Amino acid sequence: MRLIDKLQHAIANNLDLNAFHIEGKDYSYTDFALHISKIRNAIQATIPQSEKLIGLVTNNDIETYASILALWFEGKAYIPINPAIPYSRNEQILKQTKSLYLLNSSDEIITFKGSTTIATRNLLATAINLVPKDYTESEYAYILFTSGSTGTPKGVPISFSNLNGFMAELDRDPSYNLEATDRCLQMFELTFDFSVATYLTPLLYGASIYTLPKGSIKYFSVYKLLVTHKLTVLAMVPSVLDLLRPYFNEIVATQVKHSIFCGGKLHEDVIKEWQKCIPNATILNYYGPTECTVFSGYYAYDSDGKTKGKNGVISIGKPFANLDYLLIDENNTIIEENEKEGELCIAGNQVTDGYWQDNQKNEKSFFISKIDGENKRFYKSGDLCLRDSEGDYMYLDRIDFQIKIGGYRVELGEIEYAISKFIANKSIIASDFLTKNNTTEIGVVITGKQENTTVEIINYLKKSLPSYMVPSTIIFVAELPLNLNGKIDRKQIQKILAT
Amino acid sequence: MDNLEINTKVKEAFESVLEHSNFELTNETTAKDVDGWESVTHMLIISEIEEKLNIKFKLMDLMNMNNIGDLRRAIEQEINTK
Repeated sequence: MRLIDKLQHAIANNLDLNAFHIEGKDYSYTDFALHISKIRNAIQATIPQSEKLIGLVTNNDIETYASILALWFEGKAYIPINPAIPYSRNEQILKQTKSLYLLNSSDEIITFKGSTTIATRNLLATAINLVPKDYTESEYAYILFTSGSTGTPKGVPISFSNLNGFMAELDRDPSYNLEATDRCLQMFELTFDFSVATYLTPLLYGASIYTLPKGSIKYFSVYKLLVTHKLTVLAMVPSVLDLLRPYFNEIVATQVKHSIFCGGKLHEDVIKEWQKCIPNATILNYYGPTECTVFSGYYAYDSDGKTKGKNGVISIGKPFANLDYLLIDENNTIIEENEKEGELCIAGNQVTDGYWQDNQKNEKSFFISKIDGENKRFYKSGDLCLRDSEGDYMYLDRIDFQIKIGGYRVELGEIEYAISKFIANKSIIASDFLTKNNTTEIGVVITGKQENTTVEIINYLKKSLPSYMVPSTIIFVAELPLNLNGKIDRKQIQKILAT
Repeated sequence: MDNLEINTKVKEAFESVLEHSNFELTNETTAKDVDGWESVTHMLIISEIEEKLNIKFKLMDLMNMNNIGDLRRAIEQEINTK
């Protein structure tokens, strides 16, 4: 069954159940269906059939989520526009997609030159209509924009067919099964593709979605929702655990069924402690670039101490059944041996058909390779990984974080790991940075109270690392700088080290 | 430690993190009344207060902290149970 049909039936079959809990208010699937239908009416009345790519201002309210489904049932794609990011960047995005229409639920008026805004709040009530319009699977469901190295945001279009592939994989997997009784955390901006998993999966099973209140301190709110509403499914980026870690001894959440992670390195020492807070949950470490539709595979954490990993980072496991992984070296040659590091490349039905109107980038990022006698199109992830003899993949770092110092190739993760052996229970980020004299050096940022002198740490590292890998600077900070998605802000870290 | 001393240290913590003293802290003061008091600086202020007063807040206290009055009550509680 197509994802869209499944959504239609899931909503229609669960009308009495609770769909969303947003800013302290509950919304049933009936409420949700009514909002979807009203917004569909407005779309039909205003937007021509031929207009497919529609901007969506991402507010934390029922209308915004209903707008996504309304657009999908109308066979259109959403382009998330986050009002918290600079106006000029949003303007660039809408210009690139040539979107003539924008849906906005907030009272705050946002206008962009050349596009008409449809206010989705206070629309006239209408009968429930969840029947999807005709559309083709190759049409887009959403386009997400990520920061491009050239300064222009680059668009990643995901088709309905890509989404179908992704949902089929989650459906097939018994270790991540949701039920209508589940209460699921949704802590992500809709501009971050992990959000697709956290709003879409619960909707398909009639479960309820708990979003973080606007402007709140994220990890406090996560905890508050967890204890107040006894959440059963937690999808988080690993950095949330770093912030909650000093309070783990206060957290007992036996009702949690699934604790899933994506979007960063998951460290085994944190998970070992976190597991005691959620003793009955399965812990899954998902991996996936936006270009391959949210997740492309995962590794199930094994509390018996047999967890695989590298440099203290938990493995990312195997690809989904419909996807292929392979590793290539710097010359784009496929690496056949195990335990050898290379760039992870992914092929299959979840891979985007290419960056939005960027042939130059597409030529660099995709290639065709013959696998089992079949030509397959691979996406180069930019992630440095290695594969063990059982076919599990270990995440090492971004290729960009594999830096060269004095001609030596250095993996920053290895430095972080060496320090974690000396200083326990802290978040440690190693980075290259440019000194005032324009030389590249290695620096380290560590969270929390300083308990050892920099000299002590450096002396320890001198015993375990080659001298070119020993950092020149170590700085202690209260907490790591994070970007809008809750991921560690590497550029900010380089700035901290440079000053 | 008396209340005056606690209040002085709390004010000092705010000033050292926010790098200005352009505010008054009454029990009803919330983040929107103080320039620069938002989620990141809030955490810095909390750790500064913990350090100055040699206490450790509970997550439950932090999560229900909506104004300076809540903060003062949480401090008193931590000092009394120490």
